[in-house]
Amino acid sequence: MSFNPRSIKALFPIFSHHPELVYLDNAATSQKPASVIQAMTAFYEKENANIHRGLYSLSTNATGHYEEVRKKVASLIGSTDSDSIVFTKGATESISIVARGFIRSHLNTGDNIVISGMEHHANLIPWQQICKEKGAFLKIIPVDASGNLDLSNLDSLLNTRTRLLAMTHISNVLGTINPIEEIISRAHVKNIPVLMDAAQSAGHYPIDINPFDADFIVFSAHKMFGPLGTGVLYSKKSYRNQIEPLHYGGGAIKNVEYANTEFLDYPHNLEAGTPNISGVIGLGAAIDFIESLDKKATVDHTNELTIYFKEKVKSLTHITLLGNPQKSGSIVSFQAKDIHPHDVASFLANADIAVRAGHHCAQPLLESMGVPAVVRISFAIYNTKEDLERTIEALVDVKKFWS
Amino acid sequence: MSNNLRKLYSDTIKAHNESPVNFEKRPGSAALLKAYNPICGDRFEVFINPMPDNKQSMLKELSFHGFGCAISKASTSVMVKSLIGKSTEDAQKLCDQFLKFVRNDPTVIESPLSDDFVAFSGVHDFPERLDCATLAWKEMKTFLTSVTEPNN
Repeated sequence: MSFNPRSIKALFPIFSHHPELVYLDNAATSQKPASVIQAMTAFYEKENANIHRGLYSLSTNATGHYEEVRKKVASLIGSTDSDSIVFTKGATESISIVARGFIRSHLNTGDNIVISGMEHHANLIPWQQICKEKGAFLKIIPVDASGNLDLSNLDSLLNTRTRLLAMTHISNVLGTINPIEEIISRAHVKNIPVLMDAAQSAGHYPIDINPFDADFIVFSAHKMFGPLGTGVLYSKKSYRNQIEPLHYGGGAIKNVEYANTEFLDYPHNLEAGTPNISGVIGLGAAIDFIESLDKKATVDHTNELTIYFKEKVKSLTHITLLGNPQKSGSIVSFQAKDIHPHDVASFLANADIAVRAGHHCAQPLLESMGVPAVVRISFAIYNTKEDLERTIEALVDVKKFWS
Repeated sequence: MSNNLRKLYSDTIKAHNESPVNFEKRPGSAALLKAYNPICGDRFEVFINPMPDNKQSMLKELSFHGFGCAISKASTSVMVKSLIGKSTEDAQKLCDQFLKFVRNDPTVIESPLSDDFVAFSGVHDFPERLDCATLAWKEMKTFLTSVTEPNN
């Protein structure tokens, strides 16, 4: 294998500070390579100024740098139009902009919004709340016991009163890679716009708007080797001038009088106030980092880890995987017989293995699958087989500890 | 195996986890406390009968049921065991004592600690498990305060 996770790992300073760390909580947030951290530090040390404002070179350069990243993000999703991209503070804010700034005003009593049963709370609550407010229905595409979407009734769920289909590309609990292309085209046949939550896929899997013809795409920088507090909203051209801002303020206006304001066009009308400039610059560095990798090799590597882990776990009779989706990303959730997920996680933590335990912001999904909580492990490019061997060993030991 | 993990899961905690005290639903109880942790999904319900109405009222019947980790389950079990037969005023003092102890509050604690309380000293090395240890106790304290200081 040409791809070497050890040399990738060396690019991430956290592992030189914590050489023993086995970091398997990548679905919560990924670690950051030195290049991202340095880009942000360099901005503060050498370039710090507000954007779109000052008539001096620092500000001009900062503005240029910030707008350069808009182009990079657009090209990451295969768009040639950098004006398709809004910078937000994360996928959560991006979804709320579409929900409260756009869909809400088009939603009438008796209308409906369709989501899948495996959405993160961030892609459930905004829709649930505007549906409640407007007397609309939130309809759910069911998830089967293996963790696949049951699409058999999709065409009846999507009807003339459906105002939006919102769904995740990859489940943050089950790892399921949803057939989002097919789902989008089935929605588009009925002229229903689709929001794709790419929080778990952006930067790790291709999310190109060709073939993923989503009308809205959202994701967060921090899950793709970028900084915390920065995210992206992509909108198709036809919807852009219909999205109202959630925040008003400076930087988003053409002209202000005491009685009236004339706003800038999308995307700038949605970026009121001083944005997280260093965060955006860090996102740019994260995209550079991702572009420097052999994409096929990275996906092959994390797939190999996932398959290896699932195979190994099969021989541990006290471990039960949650679901077994047909197509899966590098996320695996499981339960240990008679040992609560928190107690498993503390045991692993004690062996310097960082995992997540709980309901993973997908409470209704877990309830529908009949489990209150699970342990989740999620892989990234810097994880190694040794990481997994240590994890498997700890999962053997946790049983001994509790018996 | 590391010692602090052994200390966290002391024999007392393991025993309470395996055989919790009064682990049963009692529908129709006068008061029902919901000790839920939205972050991790732990959900316990504590059943109280009859309803106490002043500082001297006795907590006669206590039970609990639900789902949670070993720490939260054992701490709820210890709570039920410790508070049965206590007046609300004394129960409140025990809640304060337990919460201060697990939080390593240096201003503790006039009276000697029971062995069941001391069993939770391992939590001091696992601050991320403090919420597990205090989940039901915080709900109980709020409830008792509403009984003993109804005007606050």
